[in-house]
Amino acid sequence: MSATEALLRVANIETYYGPIQAIRGVTLDVNQGQIVTVLGANGAGKTTILKTISGVMDPERGQVVFEGKNIAGMKPDRVMREGICHSPEGREVFPFLTVHENLVMGAYSRHDKDEVAHDLEACFGYFPRLKERAHQRAGLLSGGEQQMLAISRALMGKPKLLLLDEPSLGLSPILVTQIFDIVKRINRERGVSILLVEQNAHIALKTADYGYVIEVGRIVMEDECVRLMEKDDIKEFYLGQKEAGVRGRRRWKRKKLWR
Amino acid sequence: MAMTELTTTPPVIREDQEVGPSVASMLWQRVRTRGSRTILREKDRGVWKQVTWEQLGARARQVGMGLRALGFNAGDVACVLSETNPQWVYADLGILGVGGVSSGIYPTDAPGQVEYILRDSGARVLFVENEEQLDKALQVRERCPKLQRIVIFDMKGLRELNDPQCESFDAFLARGEEFDRAHPGAWEDGIKAVRGDQLAILVYTSGTTGPPKGAMLSHRNIIFQLVNLNPQLGLREGDERLAFLPMCHVAERMAGLYQSLYAGMISNYVESPDTVFENQREVQPTVALAVPRIWEKMQSGIALRAREATFLQRHAYAWAINAGLRLVDARLSGRGVPITRRLGFLLAQPIVRNIRRELGLNRARCAYVGAAPIAPDLIRWYLALGIDMLEVYGMTECGGVTTVMPRDAIRPGWVGKPAPHTRLAFSPEGEILLAGEHVFMGYWNQPEKTAETIRDGWLHTGDVGRADDGYVRVTDRMKDIIITAGGKNVTPSEIENELKFSPYIADAIVIGDRRKFLSCLVMIDHENVEKWAQDNSVPFSNFTSLTRAEKVVGLIQGEVERANQKFARVEQVKAFRLIEQKLEAEDPELTPTMKLKRAFVNKKYSDLIETMYADA
Repeated sequence: MSATEALLRVANIETYYGPIQAIRGVTLDVNQGQIVTVLGANGAGKTTILKTISGVMDPERGQVVFEGKNIAGMKPDRVMREGICHSPEGREVFPFLTVHENLVMGAYSRHDKDEVAHDLEACFGYFPRLKERAHQRAGLLSGGEQQMLAISRALMGKPKLLLLDEPSLGLSPILVTQIFDIVKRINRERGVSILLVEQNAHIALKTADYGYVIEVGRIVMEDECVRLMEKDDIKEFYLGQKEAGVRGRRRWKRKKLWR
Repeated sequence: MAMTELTTTPPVIREDQEVGPSVASMLWQRVRTRGSRTILREKDRGVWKQVTWEQLGARARQVGMGLRALGFNAGDVACVLSETNPQWVYADLGILGVGGVSSGIYPTDAPGQVEYILRDSGARVLFVENEEQLDKALQVRERCPKLQRIVIFDMKGLRELNDPQCESFDAFLARGEEFDRAHPGAWEDGIKAVRGDQLAILVYTSGTTGPPKGAMLSHRNIIFQLVNLNPQLGLREGDERLAFLPMCHVAERMAGLYQSLYAGMISNYVESPDTVFENQREVQPTVALAVPRIWEKMQSGIALRAREATFLQRHAYAWAINAGLRLVDARLSGRGVPITRRLGFLLAQPIVRNIRRELGLNRARCAYVGAAPIAPDLIRWYLALGIDMLEVYGMTECGGVTTVMPRDAIRPGWVGKPAPHTRLAFSPEGEILLAGEHVFMGYWNQPEKTAETIRDGWLHTGDVGRADDGYVRVTDRMKDIIITAGGKNVTPSEIENELKFSPYIADAIVIGDRRKFLSCLVMIDHENVEKWAQDNSVPFSNFTSLTRAEKVVGLIQGEVERANQKFARVEQVKAFRLIEQKLEAEDPELTPTMKLKRAFVNKKYSDLIETMYADA
């Protein structure tokens, strides 16, 4: 991947929570029209990467280049206006606003009324359930519906790049499949590039084109998702497929080699 | 042309009647006389716990009796497949106590290698560390007909194991105790029956060409070596050391464990191979023995931390090391040390002490390095810190150390002088030859190989070297010497050592036999290069992408050029490539001590090597 064609290039970012370094030098690219996933265990630094991109956190060093422009250190609202919308971990919908109001909030920075209305219809098209509940308070929605709302709200900002933080969190398996189908449709139909952070490696690898694996703040592996799925370490540590071994039960873990 | 012997006087030999003829008799004599004193420590739930001689003796006895209960007799072989830990020690001493033969298997070995050693040695009993190692044994046991019993040290995750061939270490020890009660005196009689000329340990040497060979060391080999080397190494009761090198290796077994038993030195067992440096800081050993790779890693850790420190700290470090180096230069040149240099060194002491404490060597009287070549500059660095880094030379086939660097006349780049009990000579081709009672019994089941190695009473080491003023210099392995297409003889290890002195280069292999020029393959130091790349904003993701980054290649280029300056033009490396895969101890490219295996690497990366000569 060359730096010129990448829509987003994150280079050597280091991000801290106070004295604790969460990201120890991460470099990754998202190309135009791609779905890129970042896999990793709890506390690996996945969410921090997204927060650093969207400007919620500032990197101590390194660059975040979006469409050729360094956006590291910009305020979140500026980043959003540049075309990056963030659907945060745990949905974070406005509970006392209605579904409709939530969606309009997502378009707060836009003035093209007709197009906003058009996008609203598009969201309702992807998630008909939201249309049914348009005038209910968001806090009363189910987890799955809230997730739909969070994604839709981000879409209402008309992003070129959508940051999705664990959309599968707390959802039933069938709902997860449905939501990821729509994520894929959004990508294909609207040409929105997506950076997807997930713990559910199965669905993420199936959905995305390219993947990075991050462990304690560092990238240990990157490849096309189809190739990642074939790697032994991914199979054992992320997809839970391990050989039972000679005794039919194996408790010890191989050393991760990342190759 | 005849060979030339360096040692002219008949060897000076010490005997110590007190310890008796065998490792078994030595152990029991020490247990009886030193009873309640501490001999080893291990870290249990975060606390260092001590083990006394009595406890050590009791454990070894239980193991020995447990083996006897299985019908294991003198001369039978038992293998141990485990990381270095106290259980390894108990098993080893128990095996030796009943006159058995003890042989180690590297925990990083693949099942196929485990099978090879089990079959070759004909082991009847196998001790395994844990579930992971057990699985290797279970995979291959059907093809090891002599293997009767597998004893497991750590039963974590194996509660439901129900296999008639396997048992836990605890159960095994309990049966040993039972046997002991039923057969009073069996243990003591067994010890008395162990003869000096009896085979004690089999040490499998990493086979860079062909399968590994089991070097046979007798009790006499070991005792002769311990008694005579002890005053040379200056080890005594109350000394503390860190035990972390693999027990399968002759260095940890002979100069580590057995020497500790002989001297009464306390061995502190590391929690795991990953915690060596932390554990060393906690223990602050008084003596240390390690392979070059460890000393290199420690030095580069400090050098890098100094580089990222504040302006003041950085300069304080540089100043202190320089003050030390100036003193070292004066000391090594043999001239008197000017008072100004002494003063400078004195002033630098607070900083030096901090570095030493950080290294875990603040109490270290001296440190030994062996088993592989080391860069002279690295030795000078340690000397500058006031740590006497002494090179030793030897090999498995003569029970470890044979030459020792004299403390009062250190010559970096040389491996010291032959120990008084060792005869050392050079063949007309320059090969180093050794003789003495520590020369091994031969290779297990391989009389032809033995006859090739011991000829006319001399052990042929396969190392080429020379002597000057009584000092020995090892230039290279005989088969590694490169003759370039121009007919120039080059010793690759000298260049490789210079390269390895860079914090960014973990290991390197110089190539050039029958080639127009020299080239090399470099294994980068992952941590340090990663850090450098991050500090210099060089984008990278994983290891491979790091090795492909242009600036990283440039960094290594700079390091290669720096090393080249120390050599004549024909000896300079003209091209290099980076190994793109991160190698681990489990990989066949590396020896268990993390050195690249020359022959294997040459073969495996032949395509990559050809690219260097294709462009030229």
